Amino acid sequence: MAIDDKQLSGAESLRKTRTYGKFRCHNPTCMGRLEPKPGDKHVKCPVCTCEFRVAWIRPDFPRIRGPVWEVNKKIAEAAFKKKMEGK
Amino acid sequence: MALDRKIAYIDLTTGEVEVKPIPLDVRRKFLGGRGLDAYLLLNHSKKGCDPLGSANPLIVSGGILTATCASATARTHIMAKSPLTGLLGSANMGGFFAPEMAWAGFHHLVIKGKAKKPVYLFIKNGTIEIRDAQNVWGKTTTDTQWAIQEDLNDREIKSLVIGPAGENLVAFANVMTGIKNAGGRTGMGAVMGSKNLKAIACRGTMDIKIAHPVEALEYNKRFIDQITSAKVNKTQGTLGTPMIWGATNSWGGVRTRNFQYNQCEYADDIEPEAIDEICEDTMGPYHMAGCFGCQVHCRAQYRIPSGPLKGKYDEGPEYTSQGAFGGEPDTPRAETVLVGNHLVDQYGMDNLEVGSLISWAMELYEKGIITSKDTDGLDLRFGNDEALLEMVERICYRKGKVADALAQGGIPASKIFGKNSFEYLIQVKGMSNLHSDERATPGLALNIATASRGSDHLRSRPAIDLYHLPEKVLHKIYGSPVPYKGKLSSEHTEYVGKAWQVFWQENCYMGVDCLGICKYHTTFLGATLPNFEDWPKVLYYNTGLEYTPEELWDISERCNMIERLFNIREGLTRDDLEKGDMLNHRYFDEPCRRGAPDVVGMMIDKKKFVKMIDEFYEHKGLDKDGNPKPETLKRLGIENEPSHML
Repeated sequence: MAIDDKQLSGAESLRKTRTYGKFRCHNPTCMGRLEPKPGDKHVKCPVCTCEFRVAWIRPDFPRIRGPVWEVNKKIAEAAFKKKMEGK
Repeated sequence: MALDRKIAYIDLTTGEVEVKPIPLDVRRKFLGGRGLDAYLLLNHSKKGCDPLGSANPLIVSGGILTATCASATARTHIMAKSPLTGLLGSANMGGFFAPEMAWAGFHHLVIKGKAKKPVYLFIKNGTIEIRDAQNVWGKTTTDTQWAIQEDLNDREIKSLVIGPAGENLVAFANVMTGIKNAGGRTGMGAVMGSKNLKAIACRGTMDIKIAHPVEALEYNKRFIDQITSAKVNKTQGTLGTPMIWGATNSWGGVRTRNFQYNQCEYADDIEPEAIDEICEDTMGPYHMAGCFGCQVHCRAQYRIPSGPLKGKYDEGPEYTSQGAFGGEPDTPRAETVLVGNHLVDQYGMDNLEVGSLISWAMELYEKGIITSKDTDGLDLRFGNDEALLEMVERICYRKGKVADALAQGGIPASKIFGKNSFEYLIQVKGMSNLHSDERATPGLALNIATASRGSDHLRSRPAIDLYHLPEKVLHKIYGSPVPYKGKLSSEHTEYVGKAWQVFWQENCYMGVDCLGICKYHTTFLGATLPNFEDWPKVLYYNTGLEYTPEELWDISERCNMIERLFNIREGLTRDDLEKGDMLNHRYFDEPCRRGAPDVVGMMIDKKKFVKMIDEFYEHKGLDKDGNPKPETLKRLGIENEPSHML
């Protein structure tokens, strides 16, 4: 009988890696851990300076609701211009 | 016993019904649900059959675990040759239909022929009756379900129905059950409509014996805890799939203005928190609804808050409707999304295809390829909410040149519009892409290029690639049940190892589709959710069937190869832009202009992409052209297909 339900599966064992209260920056190679204070509506990435609006699923469980447009738009436009100049 | 559920062959031309058991050796090879449906389609259809002809078999199923003690076994699957793509047609939906069908004695229906006049099937406790449907023909999807309940005087009846779009043979008409559970993709509603089949109604009270009931219930507690404790499912249970919108849009993964931008700016109004604010009692833990046996409850409910349809009730909107009626046409306004979602639900049309095709038409209008003369005066510019919603209705009822062309699907429409319209069509194998933009995510791009039913995120998407998981964690997930020694990268902008991840996900998603479990209960959006190592337990306790994780992997691989065989038979070739595993040139030529600073400027590197396809084919046991090698078919035990075992 192949069934052994005593051992944790790979997916179950990954539960211990779960964290609450923080999330990653959405800039792919940055992905810095951001930890807004409880109730904060905005958070700024100290690494790449992108800013995000924050929503709260639970008091200890924040999520990124969306970007702070006027900030991230400027950063993106500058980055795009620089990359296109380099081509 | 789940295994004593039957298969019924129904001929709508002759009215004959034949019921057969499903032999254990067939179960052993294909389990049930989508995998067994693929086997049935390959065996019961002929090469080149007309998708809207009577010879195209329509197959409806539940999974092998449907209606057992296992969690979230709500999924109904429907399959046929697609009128949209001319290849594999396949769609999967939640709700309550498949469990009711299982309680009525059946796991699979194979529907052939064409009725002389509109009919519906009524399945009750082992019997199947073909009934007159002329009084429901023309009704919307919800009204049809209520009318059938009244006709049969039973409020517990669950129906799978088509709306006016299916009757009008719109190539992407869907099938619906409940208010919004949609088997949306590849036009299965049009296949039903072509058979004059308005609905399949079920009522079942037959017990399903559980092989090891005490252990099944005990293990299910653990299974449910694994599912509900996942952060992604806690968020789903609060906001539903719209939770994905803000996150994806913030880094630049949302197609906007067809494919001109990869982010919909200032789309705050269609974020779930905003929708929750303007609609009463819609989201949050006390308002979310769920499918049969599910504890996640990802389905929001709403009433349209304003406008001509104010007060109309619906469910959702899903993430897909935010894109279809918000991002792609650049109309990011909550009322437009909610109304658009309501219209496609009632008409019975795939929201993804509708939103994508209208946005494509808007770009053609912007470029002068179609004009206001073609649209009968409708100002089909981006950002025009009224024109967008008007087009939804026109497509359903095939009113006017442009809408009638779009109703045939993107590729036929491009031949009608002519000029270089095809160049702007964002599709793979004839099916439009989800509103996501994969230029910054090569793994996701490979997924949509190679998915068996066309450009699709639910067949092999390595969605957890977006979480930047450590390589050690990635190896833990993707290194089981089959060892993988190659490299994997935490960066979703990379190409390394993505072919393996897509191959692994393809097998994972086939696995849940055979079991009949929802994808939110496996490694789709969460890394800690059950997969191959967890499924043998739930299968054994509920059905008594013993499998190892490796055996379940083999079954998934086999079923995916059956789908590949069907597609190859119907004309799939590797680089064909209409029927192949290839993306629109814009993925390779046009850089992302918006989003996170690392995302702007990105596009898919074609050389690396082609190499990824080579690797993917190698993992699957295909040759360079994408055809299965003889040794692969032998290894999977399908070298003699079609074998007509069933």
